[in-house]
Amino acid sequence: MSISQLLAQYGEEYVLSLLTTWKLTAICFFAAFVLGILITVLRVSPIRPLRIFADLYVQIFRNIPGACLLILLVYALPYLNVLLSYFTCVTLAASLIPSAFCSEYLMAGINTIAPGQIEAARSLGMTFPMILRRVVIPQALRSSVLPLTNLLTATMLTTALASQVPLKPRDLTGLVSHINTHAVGGVMAFLISASLYCATAVVIGQIGNLIDRKVRILR
Amino acid sequence: MSTGKITARDMLYEEPGPKTRLTVRIVTGISLAALAALAAAVVYRFYATGQLDPKYWTFFGRITTWSFLGKGLIGTLEAAAMAGLIAFTAGFFLMLGRISPFRLLRGLCTALVEFTRGVPTLLFIYFFFLVVPQFGIRMDAFWKISIPVAISACGVVAEVLRSGVNAVPKGQTEAALSLGMRGRSVFLKVVFPQAIRYVIPALIAELVIVVKDTTFAYVVNFPDLMQNAKVLISNYDALLSVYLVTAVIYILLNFFLNRLSVAIAARQKRTMKP
Repeated sequence: MSISQLLAQYGEEYVLSLLTTWKLTAICFFAAFVLGILITVLRVSPIRPLRIFADLYVQIFRNIPGACLLILLVYALPYLNVLLSYFTCVTLAASLIPSAFCSEYLMAGINTIAPGQIEAARSLGMTFPMILRRVVIPQALRSSVLPLTNLLTATMLTTALASQVPLKPRDLTGLVSHINTHAVGGVMAFLISASLYCATAVVIGQIGNLIDRKVRILR
Repeated sequence: MSTGKITARDMLYEEPGPKTRLTVRIVTGISLAALAALAAAVVYRFYATGQLDPKYWTFFGRITTWSFLGKGLIGTLEAAAMAGLIAFTAGFFLMLGRISPFRLLRGLCTALVEFTRGVPTLLFIYFFFLVVPQFGIRMDAFWKISIPVAISACGVVAEVLRSGVNAVPKGQTEAALSLGMRGRSVFLKVVFPQAIRYVIPALIAELVIVVKDTTFAYVVNFPDLMQNAKVLISNYDALLSVYLVTAVIYILLNFFLNRLSVAIAARQKRTMKP
């Protein structure tokens, strides 16, 4: 199929799919960020059981393949009488995995802070919440802009999992598989989706670089 | 996970006084109870829905089950190894392109790197599964999974290798040149061997992503761990237990790969002083 034929027949669906991919990416990234912060708080807390639980959470979700997690959510959970919609399953899978990586980046951000800074803050009489709010969190966030940008791109790539379940409207990957199983879409159908993904990734990367240049701490 | 080094994580609190110690102890007790309740609720769910029935678990005591899963694991490892090999080779050449003095080549390789990094693996897999056969090209399932996985990894590999090359001190190149070595042999014999050492941990971390991506092998019907798990499920009519065990195998495999990467990085920090 030529590009004009493709766009005439599927143009609208491509727009819908792009919006679906963006929507999934936004929801999942937000959820992953919030979950990641929560898990990180548990990981630095002085409560041992919670620390162990959060470390375990991170190890599970950073090492489980996306397909494996999605299949567990979609096909295995109903055996426990937990019925989730396809959309929920995809969102969950594409949030849980990035949340583990988010926590890893935030931990790395915390660990770039020299222990001497915390000692200095304490000797100035700052309380623990003050140290967190004024010393640790601002620096940790500023040094994790680039990792978080990469995480946003990775989250977008993870949402391609949506193509593995029947979802309406389809995401960009699901649309390519749909077009090619119903017609001979050829290379063009693939290239349109790929370039839409790619353009999004490039824009995300540029914005991330811009923010990073503004807030990076020069050491 | 103590690395023996004091990090900000351990420094966040000062030595607690008696009052704080009591609070910590109380909260520890409460959280322990909450976690235990959570675990109990999960186990009860399994029990109440009949998933703890021995028929779902006893076949894991048979050797045939494990040899079948093992065969699948070998399939996964083969596909991952081949994908890793292709990705490394392609990444090497992309990296050469990105540091070459020719502007056009540099631009082309940069575009290719960005393209492979910005497109999901699944889309590449569908390309090889659905689009390539439209041109009458027949491919083995093994290649239909390992090539797309390799393509989606090669851009990252190129960037990792490039960062390694940039990390080799300039003096090394200058010294080699002053000894009369030619440009190409300076790169291949002096710079690249050192660059590789710097980036081995990052390359292993990328291998974890490759292993994860091979789970999509079921799309192209390649008998990897996931696909063999599916066969087991239809044989024993036990979905939940088989998928859970499969997930644990994947998690352990990737966990140990990550551990290896961290261990090598830690060793390098000790032995390679900049």
